[in-house]
Amino acid sequence: MYKPALKIAGLTSGYGDIRVLRGVDLELKPGTIVALIGANGAGKTTLLRTISGLVKADSGFSELYGESIHGLAPHRVVQAGFVQSPEGKQLFADMTILENLMVGAHSKRAYERRNETLEEVYELFPILAERRYQRASTLSGGQQQMVAVGRALMALPKVLALDEPSLGLAPIMVDRLFESIAKIRERNLSILIIEQNVFQVLEMADYGYVLENGQISLSGTGAELLGNSHLRATYLGL
Amino acid sequence: MDPFILSFAVVNGLLQGGIYGGIALGLSLIFGVLRVVNFAHGSFLMLSLYLSFWCWNLLGIDPYLSAIVTVPAMFALGYFVQSVIISPLIRRERALVVEPLSALLLTCGVFLVLDNVALMAFGPDVRSVQLSYYLPSLMLGPIPVNIPRLIAALAAILVAVGVSFWLRHSHAGRAIRATAQNRDAAAMSGIDVPKVYAVTFGLGCAILGLFGALISPFIPATPTIGLAFGIKSFIVVVLGGMGSIPGSIIGGLVIGVFEAVASQFVTATSAAIFSLGLFILVLLVRPAGIMGKA
Repeated sequence: MYKPALKIAGLTSGYGDIRVLRGVDLELKPGTIVALIGANGAGKTTLLRTISGLVKADSGFSELYGESIHGLAPHRVVQAGFVQSPEGKQLFADMTILENLMVGAHSKRAYERRNETLEEVYELFPILAERRYQRASTLSGGQQQMVAVGRALMALPKVLALDEPSLGLAPIMVDRLFESIAKIRERNLSILIIEQNVFQVLEMADYGYVLENGQISLSGTGAELLGNSHLRATYLGL
Repeated sequence: MDPFILSFAVVNGLLQGGIYGGIALGLSLIFGVLRVVNFAHGSFLMLSLYLSFWCWNLLGIDPYLSAIVTVPAMFALGYFVQSVIISPLIRRERALVVEPLSALLLTCGVFLVLDNVALMAFGPDVRSVQLSYYLPSLMLGPIPVNIPRLIAALAAILVAVGVSFWLRHSHAGRAIRATAQNRDAAAMSGIDVPKVYAVTFGLGCAILGLFGALISPFIPATPTIGLAFGIKSFIVVVLGGMGSIPGSIIGGLVIGVFEAVASQFVTATSAAIFSLGLFILVLLVRPAGIMGKA
């Protein structure tokens, strides 16, 4: 039977009395890249934080390959296989690159395979191997982003969520990062990506969702969304 | 000033300072990871002293050997206090760090409860342990060195080195450092943050368990002994750099030596005033403390 890699239905959550998500439905097919687009404050990061268990959901559910991850503590969600590379990278600044990556392999399942995964991460981002003993805080923005993605990969995700990976990067670094993301997909992972570079991400993504005011307002394949007049007007300024 | 008396004061100050540093280690560790100033720190030391005393008094266990009881017992108590009393406060906070004031008030409540329960249960009597053997003073040239104090001071340095090494090189230590640096990112990396907090709090108290046993041969147990040590630990930790393990020892040594030397010129109680003056002076120059990061 077909099971989606990630299925979210009717998810609502927020902070205090403020509702940020008001019934979000979303689905990732295994091995696909799905883009999540939306203006600042639409609730994209809150959605990831809710799935991760950092923000408590009020209603709805989330499943990973048919297994409920709803209401689990954050570290259990990671163990189940939903791992995110957070917005703003959030590295452990006083640790070396290697230590940052090793923290990613904290859960038992990931720890047992840490050396193999580390090789794979180094293969994907060779610069990290070169600088493995350097402190994370001394890296450039692009390299820090690689550490953040690498750290998430170290946890052996089934679904990898990337929150604004291109934020603050030079255009050339953005291109390289997108190439790396395309390579990560070949590892038979499913990727949920939040991006400001709407055009670039929709060209790469298999499917996309548009989040507006805490609800999905639009969805379709990358090409469909790029052809949509509302999306073009609101997010691409065309 | 007679150089002999001065060097005698310095040696005693170093011993006393090492002990201050060792007692302050747990406070610094807990603050560094949880950002909670544990006002009840001294009360945990007071409990360790009583535990060591009762082990000796009721079971005839040597005060030094009583560490095998006090260390795990204090770890368990610390683990319990964090996961049952303090953790709901941290869970309630939405921001990355706990509101320092609410945590301070809460641990202040823990301090009041522990000290008063101790007063109720044990009474105000001063209880001291007698070693069943005699430890002669070690002669460092002409200067006599008190062996029990030397043991406690050396233990402080050993524990500081051991804890630093463990934090730096073990899997669990790495998880603790990651949690200290970024609690959300640690959770998103699969670290069980509440458990790390409870273990860290337990570890901080376990170190107090050890020092309770080590200082019991020369510090008698009373229900109110905790506060003085708690405040001293706080000064040591702020002076050395909050959250820094070596800073705790260095801060302890600075305060210990300064007090011992100052008390050669003025009475011991006035010397404490001078050490507070030094404390303010150092913080004016280095607001983050001697080993702290600005």
